[in-house]
Amino acid sequence: MTAPQDATATNGGQTREGTVFDIGYQHYDGPREGRNRSRYAVYKDGLKISLGIGRGAKAKVLPWMFIGVLMLIGAGMAMAAITIDRLAGDGTAESVGLPTHSDFYGIASIIMFIFAAISAPELLCPDRRDGVINLYLVRPLTGTDYIAARWAAFMTIMLMVAWLPQVILMAGLTLGASEPAEYLKDNWQDIPKFLGAGAALATYSGTIAMLVAGFTTRRAYASVFMVGLFTVSTPFTFGLAQELGGTAGQWLSMFNLSNIPMHVNDAIFNATSGVTMDAPAAEFDTWVLVSWFFLWTLLPATILWVRYRRLAP
Amino acid sequence: MEALLSIENLTKQYKGVVALNNVSFEVSDGITGILGENGAGKSTAIKIVLGLLEPTSGSAKILGQTASENINIRSRLGYMPEHDCLPSNVTAAEFLTHMAELSGLPPSHARSRAADTLRHAGLFEERYRAMGGYSTGMKQRVKLAQALVHDPAIVLLDEPTAGLDPAGREEMLDLVRKTHKEFGISILFSSHLMADVERTCDRIIVLREGRVIQSGEVKSFTEETETVYIEVDTNKEQFVAALRQRDVEVTEDTGGVFVEGSDESVYDLVRDALVEAEAPLRRMGPRRRALTELFERDGDDFSDASSGVGS
Repeated sequence: MTAPQDATATNGGQTREGTVFDIGYQHYDGPREGRNRSRYAVYKDGLKISLGIGRGAKAKVLPWMFIGVLMLIGAGMAMAAITIDRLAGDGTAESVGLPTHSDFYGIASIIMFIFAAISAPELLCPDRRDGVINLYLVRPLTGTDYIAARWAAFMTIMLMVAWLPQVILMAGLTLGASEPAEYLKDNWQDIPKFLGAGAALATYSGTIAMLVAGFTTRRAYASVFMVGLFTVSTPFTFGLAQELGGTAGQWLSMFNLSNIPMHVNDAIFNATSGVTMDAPAAEFDTWVLVSWFFLWTLLPATILWVRYRRLAP
Repeated sequence: MEALLSIENLTKQYKGVVALNNVSFEVSDGITGILGENGAGKSTAIKIVLGLLEPTSGSAKILGQTASENINIRSRLGYMPEHDCLPSNVTAAEFLTHMAELSGLPPSHARSRAADTLRHAGLFEERYRAMGGYSTGMKQRVKLAQALVHDPAIVLLDEPTAGLDPAGREEMLDLVRKTHKEFGISILFSSHLMADVERTCDRIIVLREGRVIQSGEVKSFTEETETVYIEVDTNKEQFVAALRQRDVEVTEDTGGVFVEGSDESVYDLVRDALVEAEAPLRRMGPRRRALTELFERDGDDFSDASSGVGS
């Protein structure tokens, strides 16, 4: 113990004197929770990075802007339906074909793709660029633990982003109905449907975005590449598929990356959304479209895992 | 004394290149220096110890276990890498808390350990500043602090003085010494700078081209020699001449003179020469050998790496 230092503190006009001791270095004899605590620490850190928590204002702007926009879309759809039903009578919004749960991801998917393209690189690129990954991998944590925890964190955020607007839409439609309990009784099946369709969109776009981010240390490169990939594949495959026609056109249309999770959305809701309406691939059997979705989700996940599995400082 | 780290017949081959060739050594309590040029195999050995690389043959056990087989043992190890590893937009307090949690500490313990460790590393006042604005010396301190935050039994330091100016280097070496002497944490100190190892370590292992070429206590390498070093205030030339008249083997240095003498009779000759030359004596004593000199003598010259470092 080093020599004590005298100290004086004033509280409410009363002066109190005390002595501050430097008790020196203390060994840690508390709990050590091992690998699970390490995994959870990476997961928790991933959540904070994705939402800009604990970072400067700049880091918060983009994620919260995208989340806000998606919430507004959900709220706006609910408001429109409620207003029309109130003005023209119950069921009018449905009969005039106002967009609802099955259409939401068709409208919101592009925003979710951009959100994934911007957020995923934040989770992976700086760790490799700054060399922080070297400190992760010398702790009770493998490359697999690291990438699985980061992926899980990003999926949590993506699911929240995908589901919350649908929850707002459902809540709005229910509370806006003249008979809320009756509305919920008639439409509760939409809840598991939008949960499933949202999970498909979140998993697909999040995993591809993480794969792209896993191959560069530059966040901007990853974001631009991801946005470019989705932007280019839509007109390219659509135009060429129309030209080719037949089965070849259908298969080419399957490479429209934006549509892959939307075919699953259509299968779940048993409806055709605006974005897949003219896609030749929509003529394939459902099992083909769903298998294609799983291929495009599991393959990037596997490549990402293989890349990080043997990563060493 | 039980070995904290035990390496036996360790060999690591990369495509046609032998990074480590049948290397064996042990590290026990204290500060052990692992010295060698770039490419000598120091980092490869450390990576195998940490379980990040699989050896081609042989074994590396730390705290009695193989890290690649029991990953949880890493919660009792600390590692300070040579290269940059700090995020620029995070505060030191937040970063160390996260590192402590990564080592398995619950969040409340991690926070208090982070604050304590930053205080011991001399960064308490700066702990809420983003690390992007830190100087190189401060960054090195954070790198050391993150290796200590979970109170490891042994910490592996890879070139901890890299990139530091002389003052920063001295501070870092002081902190390394303090880590062992005050915190009681054993250290494996990897460096290509002999002077750093000599001034900091209790024991030394010298690697060259993947082989151990020397190992032992630093003091056994730097033991007192039979050379006497003498400095006089004035009349140095007359003093040297007087010594030579008495058949004493003398080597002149910029500051003083070296006198070779295997017994105490040389001290009588020095006294007589000082009187004859009327040279006031400033300093006289047996000279210790420097590691740098030892390896130069043995044909193992690391002097390029240690140039510019006072010894």
